[in-house]
Amino acid sequence: MRIGVVQGRVVLGAATPELAGTVLLIVEPVTSENLREGTKKGGGKALVVADQLGANLGQLVAFVEGREAANPYWPQDVPVDAYCSLIVNNVEYHPPQ
Amino acid sequence: MFLARIDGTITSTRKHASLDGARLLIGQRLEADGSDSGEPLVILDTFGAAHGTTVLVTTDGDTLRATRGNNVAARMSVLGLVHSVQRGER
Repeated sequence: MRIGVVQGRVVLGAATPELAGTVLLIVEPVTSENLREGTKKGGGKALVVADQLGANLGQLVAFVEGREAANPYWPQDVPVDAYCSLIVNNVEYHPPQ
Repeated sequence: MFLARIDGTITSTRKHASLDGARLLIGQRLEADGSDSGEPLVILDTFGAAHGTTVLVTTDGDTLRATRGNNVAARMSVLGLVHSVQRGER
């Protein structure tokens, strides 16, 4: 999983039926520099993440990517490749200087 | 699979049920020369990896599906604690 900041929400018009009712977040991945500074800035390339936890704008989340992002929908098949796994409460982050 | 240095931990109360009780580490993927590669990663750990140590990480979800069920909302997990790494001359 990577860590990201929720920067927005997407609402679809016409869409593939498997995505009906799926909340879609715009998430900006957090770089190590921004995670260290704790300023809730992202810095990475934004992506769209499916969410069932109710993450709010500005919150820090962790998201799983790839085929495993559809695991939570099992046994249903959905074409989701990024899924919000958790909303972050606290980060202890001390990389070497 | 890749090597990662453990730089921290993360806590979360609001999370997918498949992650209840999971130990969530923040790891930094490493290049061949030991330098940082890419963004920090959240990795599940059952080995008790300590801060600053190097671990072997898989992105294959089978390991977590086997232990946490088919619905598991994660794919990266620690496969082992690295004792030493031999690097070639550059």
